[in-house]
Parts: sequence; C-alpha cells; structure tokens
Amino acid sequence: MKALIVDDERLARAELRRLLAQHTEIEITGEARNGEEALALAAQHSPELLFLDIQMPQMSGFDVLERLDDVPQVIFTTAYDAYAIKAFEVNALDYLLKPIAPARLAAALAKVRPRSGPTRLERVFVRDGDRCWIVALPDIFLLESEGNYTRVCFNGHRPLIRRSLNSLEEQLDTAVFFRANRKEILNLKWIEKVDLGVAGGLSVTLRGGRTVEMSRRQSGRLREILSL
Amino acid sequence: MRNKIIYRCWQVLFWGAYTGVLLSQTLQRTGWQLHIVFDFVLFFGYCVALTDLWRREILRRGWLDAVSIRTFGMGLLSAVTLGAVQTLLVVATDIALSAGRSYFIQQPVGILWTWLGAGALDVYWIGIYCLVKTRSLGKEKQVRLELALREAELRALEAQINPHFLFNCLNSIRALVVEDPQKAQDMITRFATLLRYNLTHDSRHTVPLSAETEVVTDYLALEKVRFEDRLRLKVTIDPAAASLLVPPMILQSLVENALKHGIARLPQGGDLQIRAAARNGTLVLEVENTGELTDSRSTDTQVGLNNIRERLRILYGDRATLALRNAEGGHVVATVQIPKVS
Repeated sequence: MKALIVDDERLARAELRRLLAQHTEIEITGEARNGEEALALAAQHSPELLFLDIQMPQMSGFDVLERLDDVPQVIFTTAYDAYAIKAFEVNALDYLLKPIAPARLAAALAKVRPRSGPTRLERVFVRDGDRCWIVALPDIFLLESEGNYTRVCFNGHRPLIRRSLNSLEEQLDTAVFFRANRKEILNLKWIEKVDLGVAGGLSVTLRGGRTVEMSRRQSGRLREILSL
Repeated sequence: MRNKIIYRCWQVLFWGAYTGVLLSQTLQRTGWQLHIVFDFVLFFGYCVALTDLWRREILRRGWLDAVSIRTFGMGLLSAVTLGAVQTLLVVATDIALSAGRSYFIQQPVGILWTWLGAGALDVYWIGIYCLVKTRSLGKEKQVRLELALREAELRALEAQINPHFLFNCLNSIRALVVEDPQKAQDMITRFATLLRYNLTHDSRHTVPLSAETEVVTDYLALEKVRFEDRLRLKVTIDPAAASLLVPPMILQSLVENALKHGIARLPQGGDLQIRAAARNGTLVLEVENTGELTDSRSTDTQVGLNNIRERLRILYGDRATLALRNAEGGHVVATVQIPKVS
C-alpha cells in the first residue's frame, strides 16, 4: 500500500520511516517537508495512506487536506495533544503521538483498508469555520450545487467545499450517487420513499426526511435503476 | 481596607490629642467658655480635612513614587503652608465666635505661636505619613515585580517545557539514538540542564548575561536538532557585556519569540542572530531574525513582549527600553537596552 509521510522535521520523518520498516505492506512512496511538497507528491503518486503532521510552517496538515481533491486515509502524527483532539473531530483513521510507540503504530495500521476501486473518490475533507471533517462518501446523502461550490449534507451538517458539483460527479461511484437534477446529486442508498410528483417527475424522500424533485429525464433513468 | 481604618484612627488620635491638650490648657487659663470649645472642635476638623486633602493631592501627583531631597523640601514647605492655613482658619473662627473678645485680637503674637505649633505638628504628621506610606508602596512595588517575574517564568517554562517542544524534542532524540548516538547523548545532557534550570533556578535576582546565554545556548542546540539547517545561528557576545547583569529569562524570551514568530513559520527557515555589546556601561541586547513585522502581530507575541517591558519598567524605570523594528534584508530586530546598575 502506497503511503506518504508529511512532516517538517527530517528526524521525525526518519524515525517514522524506521518504525514503518517493520510493516512490509506499507510502501513509502515519498516524504514531504511541507504542504506544497505534500500536494505535489500526492498528485504524482496518489497514495492510499497519509502520515500527516499537523503543525507545519505556512500550510498546516488541515490546510493540506483541504486542498487535496482525493483525500486518502489519514493518520495524523503530532507531538501535541490539543491537535489530536481536533484530529478526532475530523474523523481521521487514527492519530499517533510523537515519539511514536511501535505497538500504537501497529494498531493504527490495522485500521487501514486497501482502496476499493481504482480512482474512485472515497472521502472528502470539509471545513466550516473552525470545524473540519473527513467525510466518508457513504455518509453523504445529498450534494447540492452552489455555483463553484458544493454543499455536502451528512449527519446534520451542511458545509460547503471548494469544488463544483460537476467536477465532483466525475469521481463519484455511479452505482451509489445519482444525478437528480441540474443542482443535486443524491445517494441511492439513502432513498426511503419514491412518489409520483408533478408533471410526471419523481419525488424522492431520503432517510432523515429530505425530499428531492427529480428532473423528467432523470426520473426515467431512476425508474430503470430501481426497476419500478 | 485595613490600612484605611488605621489611617482614620490615626487622624482622630493625632489631631484629637493635639487639640485636646491645647483646649484643656486654654480652658485652665480662661475658665469655661463654650465658644472656645467650639473653636477647638472646628480646629480639629480643619486639621483632619486639610491633611487629608494634602494626602490626596500628593498621591495624585505621585510624590512618593520616587523619594529624593526634593520630597523633603516639598514636605517642609507643605507643613508651613498647612500650618498657615490652619492658623488663619482658627483665627477667623475665634474672631467670629468670641463677639469681640478674641484672644487673637488681644494678643496678636498668639497667631504666630499657633502657626508655629500647628506647623510643627504638620511636620510630624507629614513625616510619619510619608515614612509609613513609602514603606507600603515599596512593598507593593516588590509584589508587582514578583508577579511579573512569576509570569515570565511561567511563560518561559511553557515555551521550554511546553508539550510541543518537549515531545518533538524527545522524538528527535529518539531518531538520533540510531543515527548519531553521540549527538543523542549530548542532546539528553542539554535537555537535562534546561529542565534543571527551569525547575530550580531562583529568578528574583538579576543574573550575569553569561549565565543567561548558557541556558539560551542549550535551548538553541535542542531547537537546532529539530530545525536543522532551517535555523542558521550566529551569536556574538562582547566579552565586556558578559558580566553585566540582566533580569533572568530576558534573552530567552526574545529568542523564543524570534523562533516562534519568525523561523518556525518559514518553510526554508531563516537566520537568527544574537548580539550583546556594552556601550558606556549600557548593555545592548539584540535578537535579529528573518521575518517581517506586521501590524497584525498575534496577541501572544505582544503578551511576551509586554511582560519584558513591564519587568524592565519596574526594575529600571524609563532607563531601560525594548524596541522592535523591521531591518534591511527582510529581518526583524528586537533591541533591549539595560542601564548599568551601581
């Protein structure tokens, strides 16, 4: 599994690399000294796993996540507990406190799952003011277009991400995410009820009560998929 | 609160005793006369009110903040003036109350005696008040100094033994154990020195600059392990400056600030220069780092710098300064000037 180490201190990277030598399933494809390098290396290698330091000059670990199109699985490495708490909030795979205990590293690696499909989006990073989340796509029930931004609806939160709905759609699994109309994409697994709406279109109610009006053309396609 | 009660009791006892003794002497001489009793009760009132007014005025003007020969002169002058005003008031009252049989009209020289008596008592009053007040002000100043020091110590402790520094440092040393065991040993020793200094030193006294630079050297050696070539260090200490006395943690605070707000924010790192020189006995400390001074300096920088300013002000008054400026080549320079203390 391809992994990337991001830390501004050389010795910290060397130490992690040494610890990871025990875990032959992890292939370290690169080491980044700062956010810029991390973004470049991520684009080049598309790693499945990121060891990410949080406090770095200019671009913090959170800033790096915000700029990644495709967020891999993330293990935060930090020296300072206060950041770890925040990392938990963002729903990272795990966080490791430096100096890292080998057993703790093994436990974190046990949570790592290999990528399911080839280049399919699995999670997105969203930030809303001070709060941030790494959201797994199955948790998202609806994506709404707002110009060049997209509103991500999950678990009672509706933050915006800096990507257009169209660019997101290219990376989504079409078996799960379905274009309802010009402005909305819904998660098929969240459909609770389908009603006949006005003018022949379908009206879909999602778990949680949100209703989405389907366009005429997409209503027909949905009928096929759900074999109504 | 306690001091206020003591002050009021003292006012009543002091002037009560004085006017009481004078009243009994006068009554013995003249026999019982109601207007004389009135006269003295009012006199007591004037004395209390006037000295209290005077007290408020000197506290407002801050005469007692710096006691000098001038303070004594002003005290004496105050006593003479207060005595004159008290005398004028008591003479006016006596003439008004005695219906033409005033003692002061019959014996004008009595005015002079009253003035001398009241003036002498004012000298005592002012003397005692100033003595007690300056001692309590001195104590207050000491307490303020200790508070500021305590805060600086705490801040330095946080910086050196702050979890982020501490654990990153341990992590670096863990990596060094394999990579360069000898360096790892050296770092552990420096780490121990730093911890010991922080846990045991007594920062109530000034220390020679050389002692302060030793600790800063250990601190920087540890930071250097983390920053590696991102931290380019140059230390120039004038031998004449090494023995000059400085408040503890002062250089440490400046260096910490330079690292935190300068070097650590730059991906490519930067220069850190420490200079100390003696100019006519004045110590000039300079800490220069790559970076830029902006208006929107975060509040924690200001807190650190304000603490240094406060300590300098308490210890040296206006004679010590701390200045921060942008220098050429994209550098920021913090300059502290500390006067020679005899």
